[in-house]
Parts: sequence; C-alpha cells; structure tokens
Amino acid sequence: MEDQIAKDSRACTSSAITSAMPLPPYTSKVKVLDKYHIIGFISSGTYGRVYKARSRHPGTTGEFAIKKFKPDKEGEVINYTGISQSACREMALNSELAHENVIHLHEIILEDKCIYMVFEYAEHDLLQIVHHHSHPERRLIPESTIRSILWQLLNGVSYLHQNWVMHRDLKPANIMVTAAGEVKIGDLGLARVFWKPLAALFNGDKVVVTIWYRAPELLLGSRHYTAAIDLWAVGCIFAELLALRPIFKGEEAKMDSKKTVPFQRNQMQKIIEILGTPTKERWPSITQLPEYPQMGPFKPYLSSLETWYQQVGATNKLGYELLSGLLEFDPVKRLTAQQALEHRYFTEGPKISLNAFEGSFVEYPHRRVSSDDNDIRTSSLPGTKRSGLPDDSLQPRTKRVKAGE
Amino acid sequence: MAANFWTSTQRAHWQLTRDKIADMRRGLDEEDTTKGLGLVYPLPDHKQLQLYFHNCLQRLARRLQLRQQPLATAETYLKRFYLKVSIRDTNPYLMLSTCVYLACKMEECPQHIRSVVNEARTLFQEFIPTDIAKLAECEFHLISELNSYLIVHHPYRTLMEVQVPLKLSPDEVMAAWSFLNDSYITDLILLYPPHTIAFTAIFLAVFVRPAIHTQANLNASGSTALNMGTAAGAGGSIVQPSVGQSVAVSAASNNPPNPSSARLSQISEWFAESGVEMEAIIECTQEMISLYDAWETWTDKVCRESVARLIRGRQLS
Repeated sequence: MEDQIAKDSRACTSSAITSAMPLPPYTSKVKVLDKYHIIGFISSGTYGRVYKARSRHPGTTGEFAIKKFKPDKEGEVINYTGISQSACREMALNSELAHENVIHLHEIILEDKCIYMVFEYAEHDLLQIVHHHSHPERRLIPESTIRSILWQLLNGVSYLHQNWVMHRDLKPANIMVTAAGEVKIGDLGLARVFWKPLAALFNGDKVVVTIWYRAPELLLGSRHYTAAIDLWAVGCIFAELLALRPIFKGEEAKMDSKKTVPFQRNQMQKIIEILGTPTKERWPSITQLPEYPQMGPFKPYLSSLETWYQQVGATNKLGYELLSGLLEFDPVKRLTAQQALEHRYFTEGPKISLNAFEGSFVEYPHRRVSSDDNDIRTSSLPGTKRSGLPDDSLQPRTKRVKAGE
Repeated sequence: MAANFWTSTQRAHWQLTRDKIADMRRGLDEEDTTKGLGLVYPLPDHKQLQLYFHNCLQRLARRLQLRQQPLATAETYLKRFYLKVSIRDTNPYLMLSTCVYLACKMEECPQHIRSVVNEARTLFQEFIPTDIAKLAECEFHLISELNSYLIVHHPYRTLMEVQVPLKLSPDEVMAAWSFLNDSYITDLILLYPPHTIAFTAIFLAVFVRPAIHTQANLNASGSTALNMGTAAGAGGSIVQPSVGQSVAVSAASNNPPNPSSARLSQISEWFAESGVEMEAIIECTQEMISLYDAWETWTDKVCRESVARLIRGRQLS
C-alpha cells in the first residue's frame, strides 16, 4: 500500500514541480517592537524577563509589563523547543479570566521563537512594599493599607476559586499593587483548573508553592489537596504584612540524587513553633497523609500565635481571629476565600477602601526600571537562564529586593 | 472563565453559525484557487477529511495512551485552526500531532515533544520531520491562530454530572460517551454549547441507539480489541472505539430493551426543565445521523493519497 502511494505522489510532484510552493516558516503577523516602545528592563526569572513598555499606538495609553518567555533551552542558535507548560497555563488562564484583582492580560505576541505576554503595568508588589517598610528601619504598614490589600487579595482569590482555578503559587512577589492602590494577582504559571479529576493534581509538578507559603497538607505529601492551599498562602502573606518578614521562614531541603521529593522538616518545624503541633483532634485526616510518620520526632509545642501577633505589634483582635482562621492546619476547617471576605475584620470598623494607599502618607518607591537595558529582542543571551548573572549584575538591588522569592 | 462556559473565550469567540463556518471554508478554498494550489492539490471535501483527521488523531492518541479529554481538545484545536488556515498551507500530519502535543499540556497530561514526534512518525512515517523544532514551530503557528484561547469546554463533563439525576444505566452512559467521541468528527463543538451536545448524546443513547444497530458494521477498520472500560471513571477512560464499534459490541450480545414511554417522558421533562432547546438537540441529532451516513461509504484511501501528494509537493520536493 505504502509503495503505491509513494509512486503516485512521485508522479504527481514531478509533473507539478513548477507550481510547488514550499511552506514558509512561521512568522508573526504582529511584531512586538512595531507595537511597543520598550522603556526598560524590570526583572528576570527562570521563565525569562520582564520589560516596561508603552504602546506606540496613539489611542492606547498607559504602561505595560511585557513578559518575555525564552525558549526552554538556549544554545548557539536558538531553536524552537516547545512552549513550557507554565507559559501555556499562563496564556490560557489569563485569556479566560477577567477580574479587577487579577492582572489583566492585554495581548500575546508569538514572534521569533519567543512568547511576549503583554500585561497591564503595576507600579508595586507586596515584596517591595514589605521591603520598604522594613528598610532602613522597621515601620509598620498602616492598618488601612493592610486591610485593603488583604481584602482585595481575597477578592481575587475568591474569583479564581469560583472559577475552579487554584493559583498554587501565591507569595508577596506575585501580588502586584498599582499606583492607584489596586491589588492584582499575577503569575498564573502554576495555576490549575481543578474541576478535573483530583487524583491527577499530584501528577506532573511535584512541587507546588514556594516553600515558605506552602500549606501543611502539601508538606505532608497530600495528593488530593484543595483550593485551601491558596488560603494558607494568604494567611502567610497577611502575617508578613504585619510582621514585615516571612512568618515561617524555613530552609528548603533540596531534592536528592534520586529525584525524590524530600520531607520539608525545617519548614514544618517553623510552622509548629508558632502554631503548635497538630493533633489528630485538631486535624483528623492528618494520619492518612503519606508523610504523617515524619511527624513523630517533633517535640510537642503549644500554639503561640497570639503571642507572636502581639510581638509583631499588631493589636486588632479581629485580625488575629482571621489570621488563625487562615492558618488552620486542617484544610477542611480553614476559612474559604468567601468566608474570609465576610470576616468581621473587614465588616467591622472603617469601610474597606479599594485603594490600598487611601489615607496613607507613605510614599512607595517606583519600580526600578533599567533603561540602559531595553533591547527586548537580543538580550536573551545564551546560557543566562541558570546563573541569572547578566541580569543581576546590571541590577545589584534587584537581587536584594527579590531575596524573598 | 476557566470553569464557566458562559463567560469563556469558547462562547465569545468560538461559537459560530453554520453559515459563518461555510463562509470561512469557502474563503480559504477561493484563496487556494487564486494561488493555483486548489488545482494542483485537489482535496476531498471537508467531511471526508474530518473523518480522516479524526481517525489519525485517534490512532495517535491511542499510541500515547491518552484519555478522551485531551484528544477532544486536540480535535477542537485542529478544527478551529483549519477554519483560519488552509489545509494546503500546512502539513496536516504535523499539524494534528502538534494539536495533540499542545492539548496534552493544557489538559495536564504533558507528553514529551520527542515522544509525540516518535509516535507520530511510527504512524505517519516520513511525513513527520524528525527535528522536534518543526513541531515546536508549528505550535507557535497553532497558538497564534487560536489567539491563545486554549481552554476548551467539553460535553463529557455535563454527561458525568447528569448521569445520576437522569438515572442513566452504565450502558447508556457508555453509549452516550461514544456518541460524544464521534461528535468531534462533526462541527458540533464549533456550533453548540457543550451541554447541548451532551444532551444530544444522551438523547441518541437512550432513544435512537436501537435504530442505528443496522450500522454496526461501520468503520470496521482500526483496533476493536480495546478495553471498553467504564466511561464513568474519573476523567474518562483511555481513548475508546467509536460508536460504530461499540454498537457492534452490544449488538453482538443482546439488544438493549426499547425505552419505555415512561422513561421517554421522564427524560423529555427533565430536558424541558433544564431549559435545553429541543430544536438545537434535533439539529445536533441530524448532524450526527448525517455523519453516520457519510461514514458508511467512507474509506481513508482518497484522503491519505491526496494528503501525501500535498505534503510531498509542498515540502519535500
């Protein structure tokens, strides 16, 4: 059969040789530099780099953050290697989602083996805000700002969860705040839709959520984790806004040579020191988690969260209640985003402003933009991915500010 | 939104009318004619090609042991893509393999690009370039034409949700599931909301199935030895044979009893209460019946040969 087809088509190609038009390579219909003026470089990560830009189109005002995804591997000649799953997720989810507390995706340009995702620009992020309040000396973030940020963050998380999207990587660096004080959840690169079979959640990505914000059920190897992991992360972020440092700053145990995921003992230790040792009474399903036997050696601790809360200088009793509801060991008992939004911490006292900076006299610095590095097209040097050196050497401060990642 | 069809990009951008689809296809054909490609590379009509591409996708999905959902997503991508780009401007085998590769990432069952290329090569031989960069380049083209709208809402979910309230028997669920699989050969996913397609499949499974037993010998090609599994398993079982085959299986054993009139009125009532437009279900049903009609006389030979001629002529000459 195959032989026959081969003969047929050979006959055909020889007769049609004059009209044979080989297919041209893929070229983008839209060019990123035709549409945007690059103001400068903002930051870099494993995915690629982010640039600040302005539209060249006279009708389009405002600024943009263009996230450039590099091809996975880079050699002498950059080749197509397949788009990373996290870029796919981010493209797909951001295209579907539309909410005032989720970063808005303006457009996506696929050009020259790179993906450019054009987002609305946000002047600040929580990492930078916390940093500003802790350097050079420690000054607490005004309570009105914290309440507003937390409410908006929960509002965005609630929206994601209502739409069956789990963010899975909430941390201060991923929570943007615009100059107008609006909170925007960013970086949906790890986000997943969770209406699909729960069993599959564990497959694929072995590690989810930066370790300091990782929920205890994840630390104990839960395969059927739920959207509650995002609320744990929100609790950690709330604590960080109050304390101006991560509440559970554990040291990450690295993967061993067999590529098995290690138990994050130090992280669990940090949690237990403040929240107390989880018991079967407090968290009935804990005994069924794969890593439960690892809990044996831990010394029993009592919860000292209330003391911690006072020590960091927080006074609002309702804030303490909300924090302990978010940092609840048992994911079933942990507050949902919707429950947290209805908490008395928000409903009592002054009305929540949708501008986190309203009434605050704190001046936050603008995002650092390096204008001597604004070549979005060629700056993706081979081998920059792992060391990150070319970027960081241009940006000595970036590294310090990003140390919380 | 990710979980809400009503606010999804699928509803906003990829629910079309029959006229619109016909216009788009005509537009592409006319362009090909102008360029002189239509004459040099004649292709069978799109219904024939859809059967062929479905067949190819299914074979690739089986080799990769995929579940039905990623396959359905890949089928949807391919359909959308070929409404915007002429088949004659592509290597269809590479294109459909790319759809599978991307769909697997989106459905959270990522396959290594190398294994997709390898499996595709065992099926389509020299028509799939060994260089993975070719498939990766094709992925750019695909995503770009799809406007990065990659989340697809499928009817399988509705079927799973309503099987209990509708008291569907395992047999009926399996039959409906198979009808859904076959629906991806048609344009239904471009025309109707997923729940309408799901209700059509249920309607066909409960009321019409006995009538198409006569077509049990359809589509005898392909592997029939697959484990039928239970369609009710979470996320669906591994890619199943089509209705032609599954009907053959049930016909060989015992014909299911005809549904009682009580059952009929119970389900019609349920349909009416949930606000499903019966008219749409009837249109979908007609689409499915005409598919089975076309399938009866279909062979893959013409498609295979013309696609081979196209790829050789445009790329490997």
